[in-house]
Amino acid sequence: MNPFNLSADKIAEKAKEIRKKIIQTNVHAGQGHTGSDLSETDILACLFFRILNIDTEHMDDPNRDRFILSKGHGVCGLYCTLAEAGFIPEEKLDTYLQFDSDLPGHPVRQKCSFVELNTGALGHGLSVGAGLALSAKMNHRSFRVFVLTGDGELQEGSNWEAAMCAAHFHLDNLVMIVDRNKLQLADGTETIMALEPLADKFRAFGFDVHLTNGNSPAAIIQTIEGLNMDNQKPKAVIAQTTKGKGVSFIENQPAWHHRIPNREETIRAIEELQ
Amino acid sequence: MIQQQRYDLRCVMVQTFIEAVENKTNLAIVVSDSTSTSKIEPFQERFPERLINVGIAEQNLVGIAAGLALGGFVAVTANAACFLTTRAAEQVKNDICYSDTNVKLVGLNAGVCYGPLASTHHAIDDISMMLGLGNIVILAPSDPLDAKQIFEYALRRKGPVYIRMDNDKFPIIHKEEYRFQPGKADILQEGSDLSIFTMGSTAYEAYFAAQALQNDSINAEVINIASVRPLDRDSIAASIAKTGRVITVEEHSLHGGLGSLVSEVIAKCGLKAKLITRGIPEGCFSKAGPRNQIRAYYKIDKDGIIETAKQLLAAD
Repeated sequence: MNPFNLSADKIAEKAKEIRKKIIQTNVHAGQGHTGSDLSETDILACLFFRILNIDTEHMDDPNRDRFILSKGHGVCGLYCTLAEAGFIPEEKLDTYLQFDSDLPGHPVRQKCSFVELNTGALGHGLSVGAGLALSAKMNHRSFRVFVLTGDGELQEGSNWEAAMCAAHFHLDNLVMIVDRNKLQLADGTETIMALEPLADKFRAFGFDVHLTNGNSPAAIIQTIEGLNMDNQKPKAVIAQTTKGKGVSFIENQPAWHHRIPNREETIRAIEELQ
Repeated sequence: MIQQQRYDLRCVMVQTFIEAVENKTNLAIVVSDSTSTSKIEPFQERFPERLINVGIAEQNLVGIAAGLALGGFVAVTANAACFLTTRAAEQVKNDICYSDTNVKLVGLNAGVCYGPLASTHHAIDDISMMLGLGNIVILAPSDPLDAKQIFEYALRRKGPVYIRMDNDKFPIIHKEEYRFQPGKADILQEGSDLSIFTMGSTAYEAYFAAQALQNDSINAEVINIASVRPLDRDSIAASIAKTGRVITVEEHSLHGGLGSLVSEVIAKCGLKAKLITRGIPEGCFSKAGPRNQIRAYYKIDKDGIIETAKQLLAAD
């Protein structure tokens, strides 16, 4: 059971607060992946405020859900979501990227109990998530595994090894969510190395594929809660997002993959998020 | 102690796995089409649900093992060392070592086991690659007695372990009372004229060479480094301080393997010693061909070690 179980409207409010924290935390650190953090915010808010049966009290419960942030560079979005949920102290966000901080620039499980895997190198989360899902089947555990990947990340071949395997072993307890913002470091994904037709690719690999609006909590919840977790197929939720969502001048700008707002931009960004 | 009979260490490994499950270890073995390479069939027959074959996909092999470990299993991967350590290097680094998952990586048919199949299949860089990573214990069995204990230890230890394995059949070179200890050098024979350091698969060559050298009144000390990390630097230094003459023998590149480790001990301890390192020269790929001929070429077989020892002593 999720400790919050919020409605879509309440989650949308939480997402706004998380976005403000993302701007402030990245500005304070002087570095970060602002665009990526803002892209995934609504997905993370839905997971931690509604979908995952994860809370601080039950981290040792063998049946608690597992979440892997495969797009490890979006870690500030995760930290800010955890802070908004009260899972990590808000003041800790000020240590983001500092020397030997508990909150480094990619997630480290030894430093934060809500981190399942040390990601940052792309294309690792789906394999490990499939292994976790397989362990649940083998040990008769009820937990589900959620893996949030970037979309550029899907250019890594290891994802497709993992996809083949997840379908082969009928891992219907595995949900991959793709943060499909169509931008990667250098340019658009379709310009650099086209991913489309992405849904067809996952379907061909044996996934149960769903498209959703990844910046709408109502749509995300409807899609994920509507998944058939008993259909012998791993799930791919292609969450169509806008990179930099919520701040007009950051949205859809490749330069904001890892740019930080200056003082004036910070004021404007926070104003837009009120 | 010396028997004519030789043993396949993979069979020892598989038997250890079977016993572990019988003793309630929640074990899962992951292979990448490497069921015959690992000789895993007896385990598969007993516990088919605990053997996962991911197909020819080494990156996924390691990722799946990490996930199984996070889900509570003691996870073991078993495939050819050449594909594990280079194809899946980033998964080994991040999903196993950095994430500190309870996975035992078995590098099968390491060194030049695949003799004539040439350098795509040789793994002469597995130890150097693993030594470059943090948070992983590195072990190399040399006979059925230490192999059994090494696998038992690896399954017992919580955290990443790499085990360098061979496909040859090995004679017993240890006394029955031998007890493997991580971080402890394995002194196979004491001597005062020179120190021969060896690692796993070449230990018996060094041991037999030392026995033959006794006929020429040369007393060689033979120290097998089964525990490459943690490394018993004190015992290595003590032996070198005693003999002042050193040979290192490994079926591995001279860069980043046993020769490098022993050289480092000599330098750091300020020891005065004559040193000859035997292995595959730095910066080179290994020769291909029948394995005994490859070993002879690099002087890492019994005869090569005898010749090297005499050369070292003649240099006085």
